[in-house]
Amino acid sequence: MKKRKMFIRMITASLMRRRSRMVVALLSIAIGATILSGLVSIYYDVPRQMGAEFRNYGANMIFTAGDDAFTLDDVRAGQSKIDSTQIVGVAPYRYENVRINDIPVVAAGTDPEGAKKASPYWRVEGEWFTGDSQLLIGASVAESFRLKAGDTIEVSYSPVSENDETTSDGEDEFVLDTYKPFTVMGVLQTGGSEENYIYMSLDALTELTGEEGTLDVAELSVSADAEQLAGYISEINGSVKNVHASLVKRVTASEATVLTKLQALVLLVTIVVLALTMICVATTMTAVVAERRKEIGLRKAIGASDKSIIQEFMGESMLLGLLGGLLGAVLGFVFAQQVSINVFSSSISFRPLLLPVTVLASIAVTGISSLMPIRSATDVDPALVLKGE
Amino acid sequence: MFFRMIRGTLFRQWKKMLMIAFTIALGASLASAMLSVMLDVGDKVNQELKTYGANITVVPKENSVLTNLYEVEDGGVSGAYLQEDELGKIKTIFWAFNIVDFAPFVNVDATLDDGTEVQCVGSWFDHHMDLPTGETLDAGVVSLRSWWELTEGSWLDEQLSANSADEVMVGKDLAEKLGVKAGDSLHLNGPASDKNMKVAGIYDAGGTEDMQIYMQLDTAQALADLEGRVDKIEVSALTTPENELSERAAKDPSSLTVAQMETWTCTAYASSICYQIQQVITDSVAAPVRQVADSEGAILSKTQLLMILITILSLIGAALGICNLVTASVMERSQEIGLMKAIGAHNLSVALLVLCEIFITAIIGGVAGFFAGFGFAQLIGHTVFGSAIEMRPMVVPIVAVLVVLVTLIGSIPAIRMLLGLRPTEVLHGR
Repeated sequence: MKKRKMFIRMITASLMRRRSRMVVALLSIAIGATILSGLVSIYYDVPRQMGAEFRNYGANMIFTAGDDAFTLDDVRAGQSKIDSTQIVGVAPYRYENVRINDIPVVAAGTDPEGAKKASPYWRVEGEWFTGDSQLLIGASVAESFRLKAGDTIEVSYSPVSENDETTSDGEDEFVLDTYKPFTVMGVLQTGGSEENYIYMSLDALTELTGEEGTLDVAELSVSADAEQLAGYISEINGSVKNVHASLVKRVTASEATVLTKLQALVLLVTIVVLALTMICVATTMTAVVAERRKEIGLRKAIGASDKSIIQEFMGESMLLGLLGGLLGAVLGFVFAQQVSINVFSSSISFRPLLLPVTVLASIAVTGISSLMPIRSATDVDPALVLKGE
Repeated sequence: MFFRMIRGTLFRQWKKMLMIAFTIALGASLASAMLSVMLDVGDKVNQELKTYGANITVVPKENSVLTNLYEVEDGGVSGAYLQEDELGKIKTIFWAFNIVDFAPFVNVDATLDDGTEVQCVGSWFDHHMDLPTGETLDAGVVSLRSWWELTEGSWLDEQLSANSADEVMVGKDLAEKLGVKAGDSLHLNGPASDKNMKVAGIYDAGGTEDMQIYMQLDTAQALADLEGRVDKIEVSALTTPENELSERAAKDPSSLTVAQMETWTCTAYASSICYQIQQVITDSVAAPVRQVADSEGAILSKTQLLMILITILSLIGAALGICNLVTASVMERSQEIGLMKAIGAHNLSVALLVLCEIFITAIIGGVAGFFAGFGFAQLIGHTVFGSAIEMRPMVVPIVAVLVVLVTLIGSIPAIRMLLGLRPTEVLHGR
């Protein structure tokens, strides 16, 4: 009991009395630990955070009709198989051929909120449609009809089969065309084929065509990795009868490639930085111990065994490692949090496991790096050291 | 005498000096590796993002409205086309170096013998071009559609022109519907001529292309009698993320002031590349594909910001590490300095001596560290991106300034302490 008390007293006393040197050593250990915990948190968080950025590319999963008619309820059923926190947006689409000034145009009925989230790259000049008598027109349509936001147009629909429509040119005797006036709320620019369509709410399309109709496709933007996505696909295809789910390969395949590379980049950078800081910590500890050869010599001269000297020095450096590790783990989390807020404007989740790992790693590094110089110091003949040779 | 003393320290105390040099080298290598990677990461990630395909499409002016809107059904003989012989001009614009890939497309509707209508697309596969600038470029769908997966057979090889003109690639779904396999033959009746084709391979595109047939550009043109014409060009270009200026310019380039115009044309915005493509291709409209262009910008800027912050952290780490060791190693020499002062050295000459020694060591360590760091950067580049990291001249001055500054800051407290030493106390060993 007494011996241990003395041991602790010696360690703390040497830390306190040689304050400035110890602060320097502590600082370098803390930096090492900060880099370790900060970069490792970033490494684990990059796929999640970057994954969210990649959702800018739009839908990565689509639902199409299975065997039977495909309705909004089927989409909901399929959607329920996916973890709701991972769903970024769901946009159902129903396409119909309609006419503006007797010229055929493809109209898409959708949910504006879902479409906005599933296709964040859509650029709308003006406003999105909200009501049933409002619509969004593609840029090419706007150009060919000389339309702009705020204009009012009438959209007509011929409830006949398409073959009749082309041959009789709309002059069908039996079924009358239905008309519905709309206000153009905005012009859609995507650089893709979406510019050739007009967009309205599902209800508006139902009202125009006079029938409930089935959906053609539903686009889902899901923030999950390739494996999870494949799991969802097989689960939905297996259990939801009316839905055929498939991945948008162009988006998922490319995302996987780029994300893997990014993570590999952060990992390699972490390893390089970590290796270099470890060497820095090691050199600092070597310098700290080398300074105290005289003290070691003196202690040996008054009869201390090699073992007790090594124990005391190791205890001291491990205490330093513990303090530095704790400090570094906290600072590292703060750093990772700052990075996350600045870069991705979202906070990082705290990984409890990282705290003991950082502390243990810094204790191990300081312990190992001071073991070597202490060993060599204890080998020295006390008489020679004290004499100053 | 001064130089002799310095030389003496460097040679006789080489172990201590080596340790300082080593630490400085470590710090310098960390700094130069991180800076090189950071400065190059934008280009590298941009290159990776090219797997998403083309970010600019070029279509004929009239056609941009016509094709889809009027659902032209007579095989697309509706008038507007781009000229095939102008394709090479895309690589002559100011931003030619940023254009990594491009391919022309021509759509032809054909029927099979059993009456099935199929959509045929003619394009380049691995087209080899000798540009007027003396460079060569291999472009085509093989690289532009990198996400396509070959399920059977092989890609068309344009270089073996003898066979490939009679070969086609069939989409997965269409192949399933028709029941064809690689090696089978198909008889295609185009609007102008018909031809027997061999199926070279089946691809899985995961999209609408799975219902199409891809073939060589000339073959498709011959089917519809459209020699020398193309419907669409897809261009994959390295671009800078869009900002307010580029958006304004994209709407109306003439609204810019002269200075703004200069900035705009001299920055690789998707819109300014589009503008220049429109100038070289007759009657064309080039537009950025928002899905790709916007997302690229977002991801690129995030990655760069991430790397900048990591670099700053490692620079701080490197700087503090160097500082620490320089301080520690100078303080160790208190006895030597005490002796010097005891035999009458001035404070100034002591400080100068110590600084000189440290700086010579720092320069040696810094140079070694710089090259080691460049090596680290190459290691990262090759492992992650499979290509070398470009050497940026600006890394050299940054690392040099960093090393000098850090060494100086690290030695100041130590030197102050040394100057405050009283020779008698030191020599007495207290």
